[in-house]
Amino acid sequence: MKEEKKKSGGVPVAIIVGVLILVVVGGFLFYRSSATPSPNVAKPANASPQPQATISTQNAPPGATPPNAIGPTTASVIIEEFADFQCGSCGAAYPALRDIIKAYSGNPNFRFIYRNFPLQMHDKAYDAAVAAEAAGLQNPAKFWLMEDQLFTNQASWSVNPNYRDVFVEYGQKIGLDVDKFKADMSGMQAKTRVDRDMSRGKAFAISSTPTVIVNNKIVPYAEVTLAGMKRIIDAEMQKSTSTQQAPPQANSNSGNK
Amino acid sequence: MPFTAALVTLCGLADAVYLTVHHYTATPVPCSIIEGCETVLTSRYAEFAGVPTAAFGALAYFVAFSLAILAAYGNRTMWKLFGVQVVVMAAVTCWLIYLQAFVIGAFCQFCLISALITFILLLLFVISKVTRAQI
Repeated sequence: MKEEKKKSGGVPVAIIVGVLILVVVGGFLFYRSSATPSPNVAKPANASPQPQATISTQNAPPGATPPNAIGPTTASVIIEEFADFQCGSCGAAYPALRDIIKAYSGNPNFRFIYRNFPLQMHDKAYDAAVAAEAAGLQNPAKFWLMEDQLFTNQASWSVNPNYRDVFVEYGQKIGLDVDKFKADMSGMQAKTRVDRDMSRGKAFAISSTPTVIVNNKIVPYAEVTLAGMKRIIDAEMQKSTSTQQAPPQANSNSGNK
Repeated sequence: MPFTAALVTLCGLADAVYLTVHHYTATPVPCSIIEGCETVLTSRYAEFAGVPTAAFGALAYFVAFSLAILAAYGNRTMWKLFGVQVVVMAAVTCWLIYLQAFVIGAFCQFCLISALITFILLLLFVISKVTRAQI
């Protein structure tokens, strides 16, 4: 009897240990099969860019006019980014794109356009886009300063219920006329610009952010790195130089900068 | 009842292990217009003290499984401890749902499956108490 009880007492322990072993082994095997090389690992310089989906800009609404843009409209390489200030992946891609703008700033063949595409599931994204546009209404350069504030501090304001006050603090920090900024955040002009960008994104059937388009070709998210973007931009610049083609037009808007 | 609960905890354990492995291996993906899973899994609440939240879940499910199995083999005290644990798990689950709904502003289906499993465990425990099911 005693032996029987002892025997049955060992069964649950054996089951528990068995499940523990299964979990550890199964988890490890799953980890090994799931682990893939990081997309941030630099590829060889001669690696060809990933295949890209092409989008048609014909009949698409122009978006906010003039757009938030850096570089001349005559540039041969036009980059258009559709982004959401509350999207973690947009925040993660921001440093690479900021460095790309810095690297090609002043190059007559380079133009970068930022488009607002706040996703509905991000409750503060639309207001953040309006805040960036409100900053840009005072001075186009202030848009980029506000963009920097929003992406750099994304983890902070996106979980703050008083995020509008935080935007005002950012406005003060980048030297905005705070009263005008507050008025513009509630006004229609900034909202209309955001809505126009969104209409353009919807016409392109944008389904995720960030969506980066280089000369009408969508760049896979894994390629939105400093090395990946440089490779694609340089290839496009080389292509335009060798073929002497007319520059593609992302839209007919004139740049802010 | 404890045996049924043990089987249910295995589902929760599998879900939590999947999320834990995903936490360490997932390649970055963009924010999708239709899904909020990546938003949740890349949020600041995906980790506590450097440990994935899902790993805490996996540990909780494993402990719940152990307690349920011991109870299934006649240890009534373990069933009571199981009850205490699922109440705590349900409370944490409510907080995590609140975070998804009102703080992060996005839902992750795998987190919601885990929440459903926790509530099923709580329900099984409550039913066992109400019906005084033999363990």
